Amino acid sequence: MEKGFVENGFIIDLSSANNTTQLVFELSSIMEHPDVKGKRVCLKLGSIDLKQSQLLSIKALIESMEASIAFIDTLSEQTEASAVSLGIMVSKISNDELPMIVCDSADKEIKPEPVEVKEAIQEEAPCEIGKTVEVHADIPTPSSPIETIEGVEDVYEEETTRELAEIIPAEHFDSDFEKLATSEGLISEEASKYILLDTGDVLPEGAEENSVNTETMPTLYINQTLRSGQTVSYEGNILIIGDAHPGSEIVATGDITVWGILGGIAHAGSQGNITSKVRALKLNAIQLRIAGLYARRNDTLNVPYVQKTNEFTPEEAQIEDGKIVIYKKLRRD
Amino acid sequence: MTGRVIVITSGKGGVGKTTTSANIGTALAKDGYKVVLIDTDLGLRNLDLLLGLENRIVYTIVDVIEERCKLKQALVKDKKNPNLSLLAAAQTRDKTAVNAEQLKEICDTLKEENDFVLVDCPAGIEQGFQNAVAGASEAIVVTTPEMSAIRDADRIIGLLEAKEEIKNYKLLLNRVRPSLIRSNEMMSVDDVVEILSCPLVGIIPEDTGIITSTNKGEPIVNDENSFAGKAYRNVAKRILGEEVPFLDLDEPKGFMAKIKDVFAKLKAKV
Repeated sequence: MEKGFVENGFIIDLSSANNTTQLVFELSSIMEHPDVKGKRVCLKLGSIDLKQSQLLSIKALIESMEASIAFIDTLSEQTEASAVSLGIMVSKISNDELPMIVCDSADKEIKPEPVEVKEAIQEEAPCEIGKTVEVHADIPTPSSPIETIEGVEDVYEEETTRELAEIIPAEHFDSDFEKLATSEGLISEEASKYILLDTGDVLPEGAEENSVNTETMPTLYINQTLRSGQTVSYEGNILIIGDAHPGSEIVATGDITVWGILGGIAHAGSQGNITSKVRALKLNAIQLRIAGLYARRNDTLNVPYVQKTNEFTPEEAQIEDGKIVIYKKLRRD
Repeated sequence: MTGRVIVITSGKGGVGKTTTSANIGTALAKDGYKVVLIDTDLGLRNLDLLLGLENRIVYTIVDVIEERCKLKQALVKDKKNPNLSLLAAAQTRDKTAVNAEQLKEICDTLKEENDFVLVDCPAGIEQGFQNAVAGASEAIVVTTPEMSAIRDADRIIGLLEAKEEIKNYKLLLNRVRPSLIRSNEMMSVDDVVEILSCPLVGIIPEDTGIITSTNKGEPIVNDENSFAGKAYRNVAKRILGEEVPFLDLDEPKGFMAKIKDVFAKLKAKV
């Protein structure tokens, strides 16, 4: 391992992600951090199998944040082959060389107990070295349990690591997520971002039975900007790395994630899966459709041309009590 | 009730077909008539933007034709005027998704329950044009005082004359700039009418307010103070059979004098 890597890099541990959607989602949460810019990233991918195109998408994602991949650590032969074909170095990560970002999986079931988390940290990086930083970068819904990470601050010894990544107190997450507005104007019609359309008989029958966990569905990666008139539909989840312009249409039986500005129509859970979600770095969809619920953007926000912006406010829309609810992740500054 | 089906066409693109459709439709609806606007520009739809209805579209004309919904479900009611509704085009399909017979059937159904069915035609003379014209019995040919637009309008009038169903067609001269006409840099209204030998239904002056109204999704006829809005309201009146004199473009002094009058009145109030 070259010395240069070590000085300006860090490890992102994604080995707990058990599917590609989760992996990219978690990675994107971490990459959002301003300190990532200009750094070399070492990815710990665990045993997940990644195709060449998927790895290329991840690489593009990292490069879009002005960072670069130093090398990857993987247990999967397929991922290793993909990496070699893309010219990405494959190496084993030794924990004491680099500061590390451990990423917990969004899957609630495999989340360890709070006490275990603390122990795990100590095992992986002993206090003497003191370079381990834990960032819970997964985006939890307010209902999901959030472990306390008290005591982790004791691990800090060097100022340099503090610059690299800061600890976000666990209780911060609850306030980090703000219930923005519902499609039925829970706050008020004017302040509501989306208003439910009266679509009559569009509600599909037997929506409840169709609601399988979207995490188990396959995911389609699209690494391009969707333009007006272009449609993507897929039986599973759709991940778009790029913008979806007004006039475009994304239809998925599972979740829709747009790593960019979502301006067109997004229909998640098109076959009636009410657990499906729509999330985007900037949620500006002209219409949001989840399962049988259709909501239109409020007329006060009706901007017919594409609004490009570098100010992203990641948002996630889901169904709650027969309404579409949007959760907004506040910026940390 | 049997309504009138009017197609708004031009041949050339960008002369103001969609703007004209939105404004005449809104003006007629404001007068209390039931109006349906049909956007036949599949794949390049714009009429919904001009009316500010994009976020309300669930079903399109293609969904109606392919029987995924009933015709009534696909009609999007205007925000302000319940007399006005829109049948949107599909953005994700192309002109071949519908044919002339299907469009004629839709027009025939819609004219049963509406006073006016206005069909916004796409540019060109291919299938999109043939579809749009199929159900119509009247036509408004939009042109601007430019050689290219007039040449295309002439071609369109020739095609309309060949169609038996089109009983009458009229010319709407858009984006007229009186100052350029006066300095002989633009063809005058009389010149255009003479070249095309076609009766006139309206003269719309160039108005920068059109740009802002398009961006806002609010037809300019709703703006009582706009010159172009007034011209469009007059077009609607002429369609209804009223005799309305054309706006006086040749005597700009008279117009300026009117503005001065307004200012004088304002001053008097202050």
